[in-house]
Formats: sequence, structure tokens, C-alpha cells
Amino acid sequence: MEQSVRDTDQYAAYIYKFIQKYIQLSEAELNRYLPYVEVRQFKKREVILQYGQVENYLNLVVKGLVRKYTQVGKLEKTLQLSKEGQLIQSEMSFHTRIPSSMITEALEPSILVSMRYEHIQYAVDTIPGAEHLARQMMTYLFIKKDARYFKQLKNSTRQRFLNYVTNHPNMLQRVPQKILASYLDIKPETFSRLKHLLKDPKKEDK
Amino acid sequence: MVKALKEYLGKFIALTDEELEQLASAGELRTYDKKIRLIKEGENEFYLNFIIKGLVRKFFLKGDEEIITQLAREGEVISSSVSFLSGEPSQYIVETIEPTTFISFHRESIEKLYEKDVKWQRLGRLIITDLFLQKEGWELERILYNTQERFVRFVSANSLLFQRVPQKYLASYLNIQPETFSRLKHLLRTRTIQKPAIS
Repeated sequence: MEQSVRDTDQYAAYIYKFIQKYIQLSEAELNRYLPYVEVRQFKKREVILQYGQVENYLNLVVKGLVRKYTQVGKLEKTLQLSKEGQLIQSEMSFHTRIPSSMITEALEPSILVSMRYEHIQYAVDTIPGAEHLARQMMTYLFIKKDARYFKQLKNSTRQRFLNYVTNHPNMLQRVPQKILASYLDIKPETFSRLKHLLKDPKKEDK
Repeated sequence: MVKALKEYLGKFIALTDEELEQLASAGELRTYDKKIRLIKEGENEFYLNFIIKGLVRKFFLKGDEEIITQLAREGEVISSSVSFLSGEPSQYIVETIEPTTFISFHRESIEKLYEKDVKWQRLGRLIITDLFLQKEGWELERILYNTQERFVRFVSANSLLFQRVPQKYLASYLNIQPETFSRLKHLLRTRTIQKPAIS
């Protein structure tokens, strides 16, 4: 895990674009955040946050794929998959400062742009507009979280599968099937069966 | 009344009496009888409701089945929060279980407070974060614990609510089949299962 100022600069445009989703920001304003940003690199299957550690980072994935999961008995339950342009962290641990019941892990070689807990606190205290940005981001994350639970509970297994593969066409290739099945709360056998279903309409198209 | 609000907000931020007064005057006092819907599916949510007294549930319909995602009582906040924050029509229904009194904050009143002082923005952010973590906690309960564990954990942490909330609502909230819920309740009464201290 290496980091230099040049690394951060290299991703400035990426961070800028990401923040524009939430608020309008000038380049000068963005520059106030950059000193607090770290670039972190992880190998495939490297653990980013171990179970029992306190989460100190909010991470933006700039390259790669990261998952958040927990162990339930012998099973792994995947709760989040984040690819380029998405955030990931063990939220409960980050906000309440208690040890994490989640593990975050890189599924592909990954580069994260990360901001430490205390730097975020410092930023919202000192940078004008940072409090507004933080609220907008939290609002967005809340809406996304609710949407995921809502769909999980309201839709049938088949609907969940079809919605997901339609909206995330590359993930079927990028994510191991077992992990994707767990994320969508679908039994592995059912997942395989649904995948076959998916192939049929394509044949008819030809 | 303002005291209850102060106690709730004290979890997030220290407020002077003047600030608290300013906030309380931005709210509207609303009182409803039991089983009244504050918001239905497809309507827009304009309010964040702080409960002064009473008991409220939030749910959505899966076919004919009501799926309860929140139970809130005195000192807690309830709203069709996604609709409130996004401006999109509500996918949830919010309904009183008991006669309930709220201090309700209209979206526009909150926006006005945000413009006045960054302190209100911070309070807003911390409340949204709290709602976010509640949701996370609710999902984790369902993932990490089996039916009996969920039942026991709830009863131990909320023994008063256990008396107040109709059984079928609790069963839905905890994602337990009504028959299983009755059986667990019986086991609890006959002390076949013990209430552990909640960690």
C-alpha cells in the first residue's frame, strides 16, 4: 500500500466527477479536500478491513471491485458489491466506532481513494460547504440502501435476478457466481437455473 | 414536549435553549387517532415526524401481505423517509397503531433552517445517518440471527413494546411466521427459552 501526492493528483479528476453527483464544486474547492485523500491499492482477494477492526475509511472505488460480507455460521453472506465510481465501507463500524461485524475484500486488483474518519470530521468542521456535501452523500446512500432492501423483500427471486443482470450486465462475468447468488439472496442451485433461463431469449433473438 | 425532543436531539448535537425553541417553532403539532394513515403508497412525504406520544408502524404491501419495516414510539422519528428525502412518491404506508401526537417538520421548514445555520445542516446529516444505521441494523438482525434468536433479542431489548404491539405486527416486523411467533411466546412464558442479557 503506497501513496504519494502525485497519486492523489492523478485521481483528482475522478474524485471531482464523483462529487459533482452531489453538489456543484469549483476546482479550487475540490483542492481543499485533496490533502485529506489517500490512494490505496489492494491485490485480488486481499482483505481491506478485517472482522473485528474498527473501520477508519470511507472508500471510493476508482478501479476494481470490492465486496462487503459477513460470516453467518459456515456461510458467507455478501451485502454489497462496489465497482468503479461507487463507495464502500463497513458503515456501522465507521459511524459508531465499534469493531466491524463485516469484512471488506477486493475481488479484483483494486485502487481505492479513501478518506479517514478523523479527516472527514475535520473537513466538515473547516471546509465551507463540506457539511452540505456530506449530507447530500448520506442522503444518497440512505436512498440506495432502502432501495436495495425494498427490492430484496418485495420482488420475487426471478425478478431480483433479471433486474440485476439487466441493470448490471458485466457483473455476471466479474463476480463469482456463489458471491452474486448470496448478494441477491438466491440459492446457488436456483441461481444456476436462472442463468440458463437467461440464455434462451438470446437464442430466440437470432 | 420540547424536553422529549431535546433528549432525542442530544444524541446528535448540543443545542442551547434558544436553538431548541427555534427548532420547535419550525415544527407543527399533529395528533391522530389510532389506525390512521399519515401517508399512503404513491403520495409524497413532506414530513419528518417526531413522536411525542404513541406508537406508529411503517410497512409496504407485497401482494396482500403487509411487510412491516419499522415500529416507532415516543422519542423516535418516523416518516416515509426515502420519499421525504428524494421527493419521489412513497412506496411505504405510515399508520398509527395507538392515538399518537407528533411534532412534524415540513421539508420546507427544514430547508429554511439549513439556510440559516450550518449547525442545522449538521443535525440533518446526523439524523439521516442514524436512520441509515437503523436500516442497516434491521437488516443485520435478519441475517445474523435465526428466528428464535431474533424473537428473544427483541423481547429482551423491548419488553414494553412487546406488550403494546399487536402480535401479528411484531411477527411481520421480525420476519417470523405468526404460528411460530405464538409458539415462541408460549415457550417464553413457560420459561423453556431464557431471556439473555443483550450484548
